[in-house]
Amino acid sequence: MLPTRSGLARTVLLATALLAGACATRPGDDDPEALAEFRETNDPAEPTNRAMFEVHEAVDRNVLQPVAEAYRDVIPQGIRIAIRNILGNLRTPVILANDLMQGEVSRARITLGRFMVNSTIGVLGIADVARELGVPGHTEDFGQTLAVWGVGEGPFLFVPLLGPSNPRDLVGQGVDLAINPLSYFGQGLLVDTAGWTQLGLTVVDTREALLEPIDQVRATSLDPYSTLRSAYRQRRGYEIRNEEDRGRVVGPSGVTGWGQGVTGPAGPDARVPPQ
Amino acid sequence: MTRQAAFQPHMSAMKRRLLLSAPVLAAGLVALSRPGRAEIDLARATAFIQQAGNELVAAINDPRLDLVTRRERVAATLRRTIDIEGTGRFILGRYVRQASPAELAEYNRLFDDIIVRNLSARFGEYRGVHFSLGRSQQRTEEDVLVNTIVERPNTAAFSLDWRVSEINGQPKVVDVIAEGTSLRLTTRSEYSAVIQRNGGRVAALLDAMRNQITQLAAREGRG
Repeated sequence: MLPTRSGLARTVLLATALLAGACATRPGDDDPEALAEFRETNDPAEPTNRAMFEVHEAVDRNVLQPVAEAYRDVIPQGIRIAIRNILGNLRTPVILANDLMQGEVSRARITLGRFMVNSTIGVLGIADVARELGVPGHTEDFGQTLAVWGVGEGPFLFVPLLGPSNPRDLVGQGVDLAINPLSYFGQGLLVDTAGWTQLGLTVVDTREALLEPIDQVRATSLDPYSTLRSAYRQRRGYEIRNEEDRGRVVGPSGVTGWGQGVTGPAGPDARVPPQ
Repeated sequence: MTRQAAFQPHMSAMKRRLLLSAPVLAAGLVALSRPGRAEIDLARATAFIQQAGNELVAAINDPRLDLVTRRERVAATLRRTIDIEGTGRFILGRYVRQASPAELAEYNRLFDDIIVRNLSARFGEYRGVHFSLGRSQQRTEEDVLVNTIVERPNTAAFSLDWRVSEINGQPKVVDVIAEGTSLRLTTRSEYSAVIQRNGGRVAALLDAMRNQITQLAAREGRG
C-alpha cells in the first residue's frame, strides 16, 4: 500500500480500485461472436452499472414510485395535464435552441410558434392550444444536438435517480440546465424556489408517466437492467433521428433521458383495474 | 416511390451516364433478383396489418366476451399473424448453435407460450381501443414497417410499428416497435444477459422462462 495521508489521494485510490474491480471482462479474440456482442452492448462498466441500478431501484421503490402514485391519486387529471403542459412550455426555449443548433429550421419554427401561442392563448402554457390546432410539439436536448454533430454516445452508464444514460447525454443535460431561461434571472429566494419547483415537478411528472412502462418491465422482463439499457439506447436513436415525426405522437413536456416515450398524461383507466 | 421520383431530376449527368452503362445495369439486375429473399409489397403488408389489427380490436372490444375468451381470441390472431419461430430464433441469436436439439425444441415451445401470453395479456386490457394506420409506411431492405396509431380512452395515443416480412409466401409480423423500441432487440439483449450471467448455459434461460410462465399464469388466474 502506498504511504499516503491525503484524504483526496485515498479517495482516488479507492475509486481506482473499485473501478478496476468492476469492469466487465472483455471476451478474448478467440471468440469473435462474444466480442462483437460485447462491443454491441457497449457496457464495459456493467458490474458498477448494475450496482448503481440496484441503488436506483431501492430509492425508486421506496420514494420515487410511491410519490408518483400519490401524485396520480391525489391530483386530479386536469391539473396534472396543466402541470405537464406548463413544464413543456417552460422547456420550449431549450428545445428551440437545440432545434437551431441542429439546423432544423422548420422544426424551430414549430417550436417558436407553439411557444407564442401557448404562452398567450394557452395562458402561460397551461393549455397546449397549439396541439389542439394540429401543431404538436417535439422534444430536443443538447445530448441529441451533440449526436447530430457527430459526437458518439460513449459507454453506457446507469446513474441513480437519473436512470440510464451515457457521457454524451449527461453533458447534454448539464448544458440544457445551464441554458434554462429560468436561471438567467439572477439569484434570490424566488428564483431558487422556481428552479427547484420546476425540477421537482419534472421528476414527479416523468415518474408518473412511467408508472405503467416500468411496471411492465418489472413484470415481464427476465433481466430488467438489460431491458432498460437496450430500450434507452434504442429510444435515444429514435429521438435523435426525429422519427417521432412519422407517427405524430409526441410528449408535450419533452422529458428526455429516461429511455421511454413520455406522451400525454395517463388517465385513470390506464392502470389495470382490480377485478 | 415518391422519394425515387423526387430523386430523379436531381441526378447528376455523370450518375445518369454511369447508370446507363451496361455493366452497372447488369450488376444492378443481379442484385435485385438475388434468390432467397422474397420482397414484400408495401400495399400487401399494409393490408395485412390492417386486417390483423381489425381482428384484434374486434376481439378486444366485443362486449359479449369475457376476459378469458377475449384473451383466447387475441392469442389465436397473434399466432396467425406473428412469425413466432423465426422471431424466437432471432432473439436467441448466436446461442441457437450452442443449444442442444432438445434445448432448442424446449426453447421454441416456451417462447411461443411467453410471447402469446405477454401480448394477449397486454392487448386484452386495452378495452375501448381504436387503431388507425399512421402517416407513413416504409420499405426497408428486407421488409416493410407499417406504422399504426393506437388510441385508448383517456390515455395518450402511441405509435406502434409492425415489421412485416414474407415468410414462406405469407406476410408475417417479425417485430413490434413501440415508440422506437423494438421488442425483438430488447428481448434479445434480455435473454443474452440471462445466459451470460449464468455461465453461458442455455438451460439457465429455459429455467427462467419456465419460471416466468408460472408467474404469468398466476397473474392471468387473478385477472
